[in-house]
Amino acid sequence: MANEALAYVDALHNLARYLTGNETDAEDLVQETYARALRAEHQFTPGTNLKAWLFRILRNTFLSLYRRQRHNPTVGGLDTVDADAQGVATESWLLGDIDLDRLRKVVAEELEAALMTLSEDARAVILLDLEGLTEGEVAEVVGCAVGTVKSRLARARAALRQKLKDYGR
Amino acid sequence: MNCEDARIQLLDYQRGRLPLPAQREMRAHLDACSDCARADTVEQELTSVLEHRLPQHPASLALKRRLAAQWPAAGAEPAWWSRWRPRLAPALAVAALVLVATPVLYYERAASRLASERAGMVGEAVNDHLRLLSSQHPLDVESGGLHQVKPWFAGRLDFAPAVPFEGDADFPLKGGAIGYFRDRKAAVFVYARRLHPISLLVFRADGLVWPAHDLTRIGSVDAYATTERGFNVILWRGRELGYALVSDVDARELKQLAAKMTGGT
Repeated sequence: MANEALAYVDALHNLARYLTGNETDAEDLVQETYARALRAEHQFTPGTNLKAWLFRILRNTFLSLYRRQRHNPTVGGLDTVDADAQGVATESWLLGDIDLDRLRKVVAEELEAALMTLSEDARAVILLDLEGLTEGEVAEVVGCAVGTVKSRLARARAALRQKLKDYGR
Repeated sequence: MNCEDARIQLLDYQRGRLPLPAQREMRAHLDACSDCARADTVEQELTSVLEHRLPQHPASLALKRRLAAQWPAAGAEPAWWSRWRPRLAPALAVAALVLVATPVLYYERAASRLASERAGMVGEAVNDHLRLLSSQHPLDVESGGLHQVKPWFAGRLDFAPAVPFEGDADFPLKGGAIGYFRDRKAAVFVYARRLHPISLLVFRADGLVWPAHDLTRIGSVDAYATTERGFNVILWRGRELGYALVSDVDARELKQLAAKMTGGT
């Protein structure tokens, strides 16, 4: 298991970097994640998705280590609770979407900056989806129902498009 | 199906995760609703933008080394054995001597040597990849395409490196370099997956002990896929040449690249 677990370190570090917003905290978070995974190795069920299991430990570790920093203004976007709270109400994400041409011209810095303005949950579901986890696996990582992941992901991506649209103005 | 339902299920639709009836219903809705059809295009574009342009933050080599050092190697002794070994080992050793005959010992020794050779090849591939990563100038020739990189090796190697994959948008070819694999020169082709470098070592296959068990069919070859120190490694042979593909990208993605190289796609 050790070798396979270590193969996911880049993916874990990438999520950690986007959750914490800085390199030092991301490294600490990944290191603590592996330490906890090692202690809980016996709880892993062989045949299930090791990557998703490690992501779950990372997210739980993030919540336990960084919850007290949630009101720290230097950690971007952590104190926003969910995508709905970011002005993406059900009706509005059906209207006024980003122009396709504008989206095609988005550069990496804008994309990263826009993602970092979203809530931690929104960032997590977008990144976990990009990592190829199924909705069921994302649901296990973030600790909610599959249906919730589905709507949370749709709203998170809508919020991201909205931010990118704002940058284009 | 109304527009709100359609928007929530768009990603599932695009990824083929909807059951067939729902898939058909969605197709019909998109044909009839221009707003949702446009949203479908925008979602596809957003996925593409995220996959190709969102900056990736891979772990530093220092962190990888720290973690590899902390995590016990696969096959390490369980704790109970460490505790009881001093008392049990002498008795077990005597029992083993009585029970195990010479031919068995000989077979064990041969099998162990083969396993050690196999591990040595994997370790060598990872070391070569790390050497390239830590080099100040990892690439001797920058890529303008395979048609520029491959001729560059002419006269620098005692074989012609056959690489049937010139790179694509998912795995662009970045360049090449001369490296060494064990006792011989190797052509190193460097590809990339997002920000992750991928090394393909090509070298003469003769005289090396190749893995004969635990092989996986990738493309048209039987390959040996494993993980060492957090890096995924795939080894295979093609005619007289040996290939070692090494990277820290996801094992599934590395197999996709290997399949492109071995005629699997």
